[in-house]
Amino acid sequence: MSSRGLLLAIVIVAVMALVAHRPALAFDEERNFAGSAQLDYDFVPSEPGAVAAPGPATTFQGFTLESALKVAVDISDHLSANVKACYGCHGFELDMAYFDLRAADELNLRVGRFSPSFGAFNLRHDPANHMTSDKPLPYDMGRMLRKGDWYNGVLPSPFPTNGAELNGTHWIGDVAQLDYAGYVVMGFKNDTDPNPTDFNLQESHLPYYVTSDPRPAAGSRIALTLKAGDKSDMTLGGSGMFGTYDPNNRLTYAIVGGDLSLRVGRTAVRMEYLVRRQQMDTSNPDIFKYAIAPVGGDFFAKHGAYVEVEQPLTNALDVLARGDGMYRVGNVSNAVVGSGSDAPGYSPLSYESWVARETLALAFSVERNFRFKGSVELWEFSYADMAGREAELSFHLGAVGSF
Amino acid sequence: MKVRALALLVATALLGCGGPSMDPEVASASAASRADYDVFALRCSKCHSLARPLNSGIDDDGYWRTYVAKMRRQPGSGISAQDSVAILRFLHQYSIEQRRRKGKPVDSPALTAPSPAPSETGGS
Repeated sequence: MSSRGLLLAIVIVAVMALVAHRPALAFDEERNFAGSAQLDYDFVPSEPGAVAAPGPATTFQGFTLESALKVAVDISDHLSANVKACYGCHGFELDMAYFDLRAADELNLRVGRFSPSFGAFNLRHDPANHMTSDKPLPYDMGRMLRKGDWYNGVLPSPFPTNGAELNGTHWIGDVAQLDYAGYVVMGFKNDTDPNPTDFNLQESHLPYYVTSDPRPAAGSRIALTLKAGDKSDMTLGGSGMFGTYDPNNRLTYAIVGGDLSLRVGRTAVRMEYLVRRQQMDTSNPDIFKYAIAPVGGDFFAKHGAYVEVEQPLTNALDVLARGDGMYRVGNVSNAVVGSGSDAPGYSPLSYESWVARETLALAFSVERNFRFKGSVELWEFSYADMAGREAELSFHLGAVGSF
Repeated sequence: MKVRALALLVATALLGCGGPSMDPEVASASAASRADYDVFALRCSKCHSLARPLNSGIDDDGYWRTYVAKMRRQPGSGISAQDSVAILRFLHQYSIEQRRRKGKPVDSPALTAPSPAPSETGGS
């Protein structure tokens, strides 16, 4: 870790410790100190034989850790603050540092660093709040097999960025809840590559949160929750985000998504679809795998979707079955994207590529705040790896605690 | 294909096993308290585990009012004003139990009759 990163980590932890242990103030300030940590072991039986392959070798096997500490402070009835620091694959990261200024339930201004409202999953992105060790593929951030080929999901979650969001919720009687959000944020960027063809996700996790691209990204979300009775509800949502990601503000990206979740008793059925359409800098045709089409040759589209069913079997045991996948269409850059080491020099993707995964997971609570997670995943790819495999298995065994 | 069929079979069998049982603290509670617990468990487990509130150490009704109001404002929470009364009633009873266990006074000003925070009643 760089000295600047270490300094940031020390400052974050020190500030959070001070806030958590500060005596209550005269106006009855409310504080909540929470946190979680997940240790996961990912076992991919086929991987050792494919180490020489550029794409598959980038899978994170073995142990990974995700941990977070959060302080929420209710300063008054109308003002609250949240700070959340995480430690994971990127090292230390500031996932949240924002103020909420609320005039009414229907009108709240959020300013600072946060993940803007997009989709349904991000609200549950903390590993203590979902039953699997990893995330649905459209939101994957580094745990998928052949992640170097795909450069993560459609919208890797969480996606903290700097900006402002206006949001609110309105209840219509006791049967319907309407939520909205609109925001302007720094968004995804690539300041590094001379011919950008994708985001540089590493840049979004640097401790120095500025960019040479001054134009903000904008987006919005609207969702309607309907209660059909005491034991069931349904939420239907739509989200969109638009921005530019290169220093010259020429290359656009647009991400749109729809989500539907249904709860009947404690059974949850969730589904989401996302697509990211992203322009690429085609001024250097030599970096591309295919000849650039005169029309529509300067963008790719990455689609992703998942459907999952979650069912508590007992007070301590939950089961989840999930099917998810991604489909990418468009030219393929053979240049290394970003400053990370996970981008291959030669992409095995073709003009149209897909990946599908089926997951069966169990989560067992030893105590209320401590849970073991296990899952088996069957992967299928539209292309073979260097060893000729188009299907692979992976196994996760993890433990997560929260407080 | 065999692996997929086996996985589907296991998933179907597990999904048909039945529903969750109650938290131990609530098992011996009255029918009314159980009904409140059901609302609490259903609504609060939508986004996070029930361990978050139950093991938070909070046993102050004023604090709960603020937090349930905050959770109610979360997008897609599905916590109506009516639900928040039942949730607060459960948390009030739960707080009394927690205070008894810790040897704290149960007639403390921190424990008052459950009612939603002012902002909760103006949402509809």
